[in-house]
Amino acid sequence: MSDLLNIGASGIRAYQNAISTVSENIANSGVEGYSKRSTNLSEVAASTTTITRREVTAASGVITTGIARSGDPIKEAAVRSSASDLASSDSAIQWLDRIQSALTNNKLGDQLTGFFNSANAVAADPSATAPRITMLDAAEGAASAFTATGTALAGIADSLDLSAQDSVSTFNGLAAALAKVNDGLSRNVPGTNGSAQLLDQRDQLLEQMSAIANVAVTADDVGRVTVRVGGATGPVIVQGNDSGSLSYARGNDGAVAYQVHFGGNIYAAAISGGALAGIADGAQRLAEAQQQIAQVATGFVDGVNQVQAAGVDLDGNPGAPMFAAGASATDISVVLASPRGIAAAAPGGGPLDNANLVGLATLRRTGAFEGEVGQVTTDTASALAAKQTIADAQATIHDNAVADRDSVSGVSLDTEAVDLLKFQQAYSASSRVIQAARDIFQSILEIR
Amino acid sequence: MQVSTNQFYNSANAMMTSLTSQADKLQSQISTGKRLQAPSDDVVAYQQLQLIARANADDSSYAATITTAKALLDQGDTTLTTITAQVQRAQELAIKANNETLSANDRQSISAELRGIVQTLAQLANTQDARGNALFAGSQGGAPVTVNADGTVTINDTGQPAAIPIADSQSVVATETASDVFGGILDGASGTTDLFSVLTTFADALDTDASPVAASSTASDALKSALDNVANSQASLGARSARLTMLSSAMTDAGVARETQRSALEDTDVTTAITELQKTMTILQATQASFTKLSSLSLFDYLK
Repeated sequence: MSDLLNIGASGIRAYQNAISTVSENIANSGVEGYSKRSTNLSEVAASTTTITRREVTAASGVITTGIARSGDPIKEAAVRSSASDLASSDSAIQWLDRIQSALTNNKLGDQLTGFFNSANAVAADPSATAPRITMLDAAEGAASAFTATGTALAGIADSLDLSAQDSVSTFNGLAAALAKVNDGLSRNVPGTNGSAQLLDQRDQLLEQMSAIANVAVTADDVGRVTVRVGGATGPVIVQGNDSGSLSYARGNDGAVAYQVHFGGNIYAAAISGGALAGIADGAQRLAEAQQQIAQVATGFVDGVNQVQAAGVDLDGNPGAPMFAAGASATDISVVLASPRGIAAAAPGGGPLDNANLVGLATLRRTGAFEGEVGQVTTDTASALAAKQTIADAQATIHDNAVADRDSVSGVSLDTEAVDLLKFQQAYSASSRVIQAARDIFQSILEIR
Repeated sequence: MQVSTNQFYNSANAMMTSLTSQADKLQSQISTGKRLQAPSDDVVAYQQLQLIARANADDSSYAATITTAKALLDQGDTTLTTITAQVQRAQELAIKANNETLSANDRQSISAELRGIVQTLAQLANTQDARGNALFAGSQGGAPVTVNADGTVTINDTGQPAAIPIADSQSVVATETASDVFGGILDGASGTTDLFSVLTTFADALDTDASPVAASSTASDALKSALDNVANSQASLGARSARLTMLSSAMTDAGVARETQRSALEDTDVTTAITELQKTMTILQATQASFTKLSSLSLFDYLK
């Protein structure tokens, strides 16, 4: 009879555990990164053991052997790699979009067109002041469009650096946290709630890390991970209880360099996924745009000043420079103060001459500044459009990977309801067993 | 495949967000009337639109210079017509003077009228244009002819008038110089003379010479040549004006063609966009309805 009592008691204990696991699942069904858990139950068998075999002679109840966590490392890896790809495109899109706005918002091309066209009005009436004032205003407009475009691009460079530093320090924080989780895993018994919690944390940290940079992950028996940055052959950033740190540097040519500092050594990291890869793409395009706009600015300033120098102004004096560049090539200001200073006439041509202005029309054709500005914009725009198309595909891939993983590790409330019902009934039945044992024992006692 | 509760909500959320953003994009296409909101929406179209915008800006600048040039040409034409009338009157006077029987008084009245014509022509030669410059000045500006104290007139324009840009790499000289209009009259073997000295010499001859026949016939020849000069100038101005008229009508046509092209590239096809928006909204409403239905389904509701 004591067997029956023990069996009933073991059932009550086991199904209590099972119900509490189901409750845990229900309570955490909305928590990001929570993996569905289940209680592993197995039969307890009393046995007589001979040298050659073990024989089960009588059953003696049920026992909780552990808490199993539904997780699939391969599906987790698929989610991570698709998240890296998507984050890389998303971050590149963000930067390319900002570069595109900087190039179009200041209407640089339109201002240049306006400047060259204002020279036509001066050519039609070279001695009048009004067209000359209009031309100087248009020159002012072109100069400030160059300056504003240059400033906007430089502003993007600054915030690109800030954002990269931010991402790198977040990444380093995640790596340090992952080393702590590794430490926790080595102290925890596998198959417990504690270990399941740590594994959930580990997978979430890894997913967050791969949104910043692509990582290659290998896990040992107890779930501790070794993380390499930039792929399977990249430098190690987390190993056991140790974590390293990532650093970011951007050269003047726009080339971005990432380095891993681990165990006192420095390794170069080739990051091809995650937000940091998008930042590198953005930095590259930004440097090209800055360089091209600076080239257009220099060509424009030098060209216009040369045309000025080739002619004479309304007072017959040799033309003075119209534009001057400041600290940077795009930092342009108009230095010609008087509208009479516009050198419309060829030397010896007189106040009604406009022969020198043909030089501006020639400069417009040969310099093709407006076309160059348009080209920089379309280069950026087509890179952006390509990234957007890729990102759409990557988002679908990522969504599918997440759905695939969640179908294994996610909590479904309907399934939990069924489990709850099942374990609740088993619990009630086990308590009936205890009652039966008591009744049977009672009936023995009542024998007279 | 099991659908976890979290995933069910996440995917419903993602679907509705994407439908809403699609509707938002269509909405802004309809309200702005523009299909392209950023260069990256359609790079090729953006490139073409840039070229169209530049051509429009160029043409509006050239339209202004063409207007100026045309005004100058018209003013030149009117002035030359007046000049022609004056020269014709001088011709009549030369024929009248070609008569042995004229009295000294007759000759003097003719010479006085001739001197008056010289003054009128000098005034016409110094006509101001709409820009405030002398119409027949060269590139140096200033008065193209000077009336001296003794009543003679000197032509002193220098340089050629500036060519006005009217299209890419095209320009037109919208005025003539005083030397072109009044000078270049063949004067025997000695070279060329100008209309003013022809008239002044003729008037002088009438004042002093009792028999003005020879002087009259010389003057008649010279005046014929002067009239040819003026007529040539006028014909040339007329040809240039016709060229401008053709050019500006070609520009208008090109502008209309560009506008059609721009509209095709950039403007929203409102019918399609509204149909598309209606479709998106219908799908969104259906998604919302099915989401509400599905999310209210729970086994827990039946466990009592």
